[in-house]
Amino acid sequence: MRDARARLVADSALGGPAFGAAYAALLDGVLAPLFERAAGEEAAALVSLGSYAREELCPGSDVDLLLLHGGGRTIPALADALWYPLWDAGFVVGHSARTLKEAVAVADGDLHVLTSMLDVRHVAGDEALSSALVERIRGLAEKRRGRLVEAFATAAAARREALIADLLEPNVKDGGGGLRDLQSLAWMGWALGPPGALGSLVEAGYVRSEDLPTLDAARDLFLTVRVALHRVTGTKSDDLRLQDQDAVAAVALRTDADDMARELAGAARAVAWIAADAWNRLRATQRGPLGRIARRDRVLARGIVARDGRVTIAADAAHDGATALRLAVAAAVHDLPVDRQALATLAPPDAADGWAPDWSSGAGADLVTLLRQGRRAIPVIESLEHAGVWLSLLPEWEHVRSRPQRNAYHRFTVDRHLLEAVAESVELLDGADTTEVFDRDVARHLDRPELLVVCALLHDIGKGLPGDHSEAGAEMAVGLCRRLGFDDEALGRVERVVRHHLLLADVATRRDLGEEATVARVARLVGDAPTLELLYLLTVADSQATGPAAWNSVKAALVRELFVKALHLLERGEVGAGLGEERRAELAGRVGEERATAFLDAMPVAYGAGFSADEMAAHLELLDGGSTAVAWSQDLGQQVCTVVAPDRPGMFASVAGVLSLHGLNVQQAAAHTRADGMALEVFRVVDDVGRIERRGTDPVSDDIQAALADDLDVGAGMAERARHYAPARRRTAPPTPPRVYVDQEASDFATVVEVHADDRVGLLFQITRVLADLGLDVHLAKVSTIGDRVVDAFYVRDASGGKLGEPDVERVRHTLLGRLQRA
Amino acid sequence: MKLITAIIKPHKLDDVKAALQEAGVSGMTVSEARGFGRQRGHTETYRGAEYTIDFVPKVRLEIVIDDAQAQAVSEALVRAAQTDKIGDGKVWVTPVESITRIRTGEVGPDAL
Repeated sequence: MRDARARLVADSALGGPAFGAAYAALLDGVLAPLFERAAGEEAAALVSLGSYAREELCPGSDVDLLLLHGGGRTIPALADALWYPLWDAGFVVGHSARTLKEAVAVADGDLHVLTSMLDVRHVAGDEALSSALVERIRGLAEKRRGRLVEAFATAAAARREALIADLLEPNVKDGGGGLRDLQSLAWMGWALGPPGALGSLVEAGYVRSEDLPTLDAARDLFLTVRVALHRVTGTKSDDLRLQDQDAVAAVALRTDADDMARELAGAARAVAWIAADAWNRLRATQRGPLGRIARRDRVLARGIVARDGRVTIAADAAHDGATALRLAVAAAVHDLPVDRQALATLAPPDAADGWAPDWSSGAGADLVTLLRQGRRAIPVIESLEHAGVWLSLLPEWEHVRSRPQRNAYHRFTVDRHLLEAVAESVELLDGADTTEVFDRDVARHLDRPELLVVCALLHDIGKGLPGDHSEAGAEMAVGLCRRLGFDDEALGRVERVVRHHLLLADVATRRDLGEEATVARVARLVGDAPTLELLYLLTVADSQATGPAAWNSVKAALVRELFVKALHLLERGEVGAGLGEERRAELAGRVGEERATAFLDAMPVAYGAGFSADEMAAHLELLDGGSTAVAWSQDLGQQVCTVVAPDRPGMFASVAGVLSLHGLNVQQAAAHTRADGMALEVFRVVDDVGRIERRGTDPVSDDIQAALADDLDVGAGMAERARHYAPARRRTAPPTPPRVYVDQEASDFATVVEVHADDRVGLLFQITRVLADLGLDVHLAKVSTIGDRVVDAFYVRDASGGKLGEPDVERVRHTLLGRLQRA
Repeated sequence: MKLITAIIKPHKLDDVKAALQEAGVSGMTVSEARGFGRQRGHTETYRGAEYTIDFVPKVRLEIVIDDAQAQAVSEALVRAAQTDKIGDGKVWVTPVESITRIRTGEVGPDAL
């Protein structure tokens, strides 16, 4: 027996249903003779139950048997003669021996037992006894119809929590839309009376006859996969593990795992949906005729009514897409199921003339309203999908239908993921309990919240198309929205959000958020604050809709930090400002697009708006030189001294000091440090004492080089100078006390120290020397002189590269003021 | 054998992974973590309202390595994870009593 079984399992020509039948035949062939040999004169019958009775055995299935008897001394021996050989041969046997009365009594008291006896097939012995059992059990089922409906419907709903179509590693037996769902329906059929099984359901109208082929095909598919799965793993597990899927697909369907996933998903979805509809109707019937008659049609919308607890169409409603959409909206809003009959009549005919809705006249708004219902819309959209309506409304949906995403990261098929993303975004908009306070506040501030649900629905619509799915998706999304009648501003936002829907998560987790350049790039790509807010919320919704591995508090914190910093840049107009973009384009014209972008991305954000394209091109050449260099030019009567060198604390002070030593009066200065650590400092000076006129710029350049090489003690030189020279300018106004302001809000990346003081020789050197002595790094400096007053703003960072802490701020203020007041 | 545990900045993970592979490390466990040292959390401002984050996102790496390599691996890790800014993290080494490869039952250095 053991060998025969092994041969069967090894016979790869026997797949699915064929295997089940052959295995059942094998068992029959063994058990009948066993029974004949061991039976006495007492009445007894051996019947099979469960999958053995249905002839749907799989290699790992248990064998369920019931020995019916009328009492008698020989029965225990008979039972042993049946069970022991099976156990010895390695079968797992579910066994019991009962009289007819006992069997019925047990079934009467326990729904599970009753259910287990609904599939029963005579194997050997007294046929009259077997038939009596069948009759009595089925009678019992009919009596218990109400409780069975409730139990089965509840179990089916629980299975829908783990739909085969949604899972990376589905369970083909107990998963939603799988074998259990099919068996459940058949059992229900028995409880409705003859003819029994699915036939009864069709006759009573709970399942449509067109559905039968679908259900049969699904059953065959699941059995084929299940048999192959047991063969491949050698176990009885029904979990289709990822590591086994390739082998199973090859054995079962002669295809690859992706195709198998798609087939399973398609079949399971159909079964789950048909079953859900059937249970709905069965439950409605259970509520009784009185409940139905008392309720009248309730009008929910134009041409849409609620009847018998389902949403259906009024007699005079037009049979077109717009009506279908209104039907869906009413169902979602009022949380009622859609009437399948009605939906079937609304499905588009082959010639789709006049069926498509006129989107601009309310249908577009209806679609948004439907989406806005969040999770409640999902089963409604499933209904539309099954009737073929959804695809006719949104043809772009075609290649995301049931498209599996078979990796450990994604839980759902693409289409299901998109709907989940819609549900998550609605939870954000409605401020559900599980939503973070921060996210709730951002959602509340959206000026066009409807765009969030639309972006959620479409963000992955490009999957399945060749090329990058974000790019392809953006194009497709815009086309769809334009058809729906969205305005240009909306189209622009949707385009950018879909195109960049992965940007925030990517950058936040893989790039240094302490670098302004990182954040500036994101802000530039997104373009404006409202779009960024949409993008942030979509990132949250998308990640939560992807799967448990995709979102946690660490990722959330990183994305939030990036969002806030980028938002600040956009709100302050430092990025995305028109002037900056113009200059960028001009620079690209001079040095090429790539070089220009790379250069500007590496420079601080404020750099781009401060210089002309010609100047920037010159800076680029100097910086790329890689070593210390000094360049001079003239502009508007001023000398412009440009210095590049590897940045280090005190560099700015050194150069400022040298200029001062040569009698050059700094009117304006800017210092920027490139991402690679090369500093660019540009000083506009006035040649007060005519030094450059007489001796040229070389002496100054030489001294600058010397100072930066630490060969010149600028401090000593300045002290010397102060002793010998009096201030060169007359005051036009009484002296004003110096002021020092420290601003921690102006930038996310540095502390801004602003000094207001009367102009005098060496002022800049003094200030920057103090900053250097305090160990601060000047990342960016803006120096300007207005009349007699100097306003110097320095973006400084402490030794560890961050903003100053409170103690440091106090020290800076105190030291600077002290120094300035002494002079 | 030693267990090397490191807390690093999330965006340095790729660099550290590459450096470790070059140093001969064949396996590691990576998990996301939140914490603070002297950096503490920070406050973010959104539309005038302040939101406090108590913990800073980090990544934790755990590597079991034989004694001879521990020093070199540690140093490679530190070099790769450095950004010279606050919050770079820490690396520490603890002894391992025993280690077993679950699939085969191999113990000790064979299980590394």
